[in-house]
Amino acid sequence: MIEVVNPAWLSMVVDSGRYGYADIGVPPSPALDRYSYTALCRLLGYAAGMPALEVMGHDFSLKASIDVSCAITGAWVTAFVEGVPVAPWRVFRVKAGSTIRVKEVTEGLRYYIGFSGIIDAAKVAGSYTTNLECRFGGYSGRPFLKGDRIALKDVRDAGERAIAGSLIPSMKAPHILRIIDGEEERYFSAEALKSLFEKDGDPWYKVTTKTNRTGIRLEGKPLEFKKGTEQSIISEGILPGVVQVPGGGQPIIVLYERTIGGYARIGHVIRADRDLLAHLKPLDMVRFQRVTRGEAEGLWNEKAEQYYNMLP
Amino acid sequence: MNWARYGEEGIRIVFGNAVSADVHEKVRRYYFFLKSLRLQEIIDIIPSFTTCIIYFNDQLTDFDTLTAHLQERERELPETDVPAPAAHTIPVMYGGQYGPDMEFVCSYAGLAPDEIIEIHAGTVYTVFAVGFMPGFPYMGALDKRLFVPRLETPRLKVNEGSVGIAQFQTGIYSFESPGGWRIIGKTDRRLFDHRQEPYSLMKIGDQVRFVPV
Repeated sequence: MIEVVNPAWLSMVVDSGRYGYADIGVPPSPALDRYSYTALCRLLGYAAGMPALEVMGHDFSLKASIDVSCAITGAWVTAFVEGVPVAPWRVFRVKAGSTIRVKEVTEGLRYYIGFSGIIDAAKVAGSYTTNLECRFGGYSGRPFLKGDRIALKDVRDAGERAIAGSLIPSMKAPHILRIIDGEEERYFSAEALKSLFEKDGDPWYKVTTKTNRTGIRLEGKPLEFKKGTEQSIISEGILPGVVQVPGGGQPIIVLYERTIGGYARIGHVIRADRDLLAHLKPLDMVRFQRVTRGEAEGLWNEKAEQYYNMLP
Repeated sequence: MNWARYGEEGIRIVFGNAVSADVHEKVRRYYFFLKSLRLQEIIDIIPSFTTCIIYFNDQLTDFDTLTAHLQERERELPETDVPAPAAHTIPVMYGGQYGPDMEFVCSYAGLAPDEIIEIHAGTVYTVFAVGFMPGFPYMGALDKRLFVPRLETPRLKVNEGSVGIAQFQTGIYSFESPGGWRIIGKTDRRLFDHRQEPYSLMKIGDQVRFVPV
């Protein structure tokens, strides 16, 4: 049993996502940083799909009532077990009665914690992940509160694995997000497109506080539509990473909690950069860079190689 | 049908450029056809007004391979059995505390609340899409007299069961959420239940009639 002593700002159960039901509006709600989540599974000897904790904020703490192995990946943090520092991206042992504390987050936003036992969580439509808006899956469909008790099944010894330092991603702001063609790119003025994709100078966009698992709202120089252009589209299916622009011209990066959208799409954040979206936090500066499909594929292959290299 | 890449792991099939019963029927047929193929490569399908989005597993396929495969199998489409749309009757409490935008809709349309109710409940709607949130039905076509713009600033909280209208559509909020549609009533029918399949009360193509209570 693991007791939640301090749930920090937001902590919840996630997994690799709830797929197969987008036709009835069920979004995937997965671990937002898939790379870090996958690394966590590998460290603890599980296939991707096992439930894990996704946490935002400092001072997260848990108390273990059993001997268990544990690991932390994702955002850069300082963590302690009974006051002794433990390294993230590496399995560490926790003795019964000890407290695990993540004191500070120094880079990035979301971090992942897993154990050498399966978290007892509600499986809904094939997945353990929490749909916060609809309150199902995970731990009673809600974020953790102080005093919650997490049951672990099949606890075993996880061995001493670590992820090589060269495979730990940087999450330092400012962020460059690379994007490929959007369906409504031609709705925007030449000037808007030029300034958005200029290699060097402005515009930088600021991540606003209206940012959550549904989407990241940015604020900067408004992206102007061409005169006389429709500013909304017939609603249709959307996929994670799409950059939508409502009439006001401030872009929104769609994350993993919506299946249909009705705003003009100026681009799609490339797959290789999508895990980074989990770490964009209010006030971070972001800019977009246009890449070709070929470049996007090359960048993904590099990232896929990292996934491959994480294997034990 | 027009096939295009959609991001890196998607296919966007466009069946027409405007909302119409014809175009939508093509989307619906194709969606059920796709489902019947039970292809492992397809993770999710999102059918809506004019398009079908396919999200595929790129470990198993790529855009060109999957597109070619689907285009080759298209000849099976005419023989595919498509489920008949279900008919739903949804009881609605219109106006007052249940429909905070009824007054706006009345003044915008120049009609009395009773007339709004009569018009809204006097049409059988088609479910064009289910989504944005689990179980939310996008329905149409609304009578032209009820066309209203969305709220300029969306509400932070729309109650579960709220019946809204926006432009040519009407919909039901299956969960409490932020929202920009004009709310004219509320139903206590549950639209999505994660505890039992089928999770969603409605599916694409279903026919819906509102009954004032």
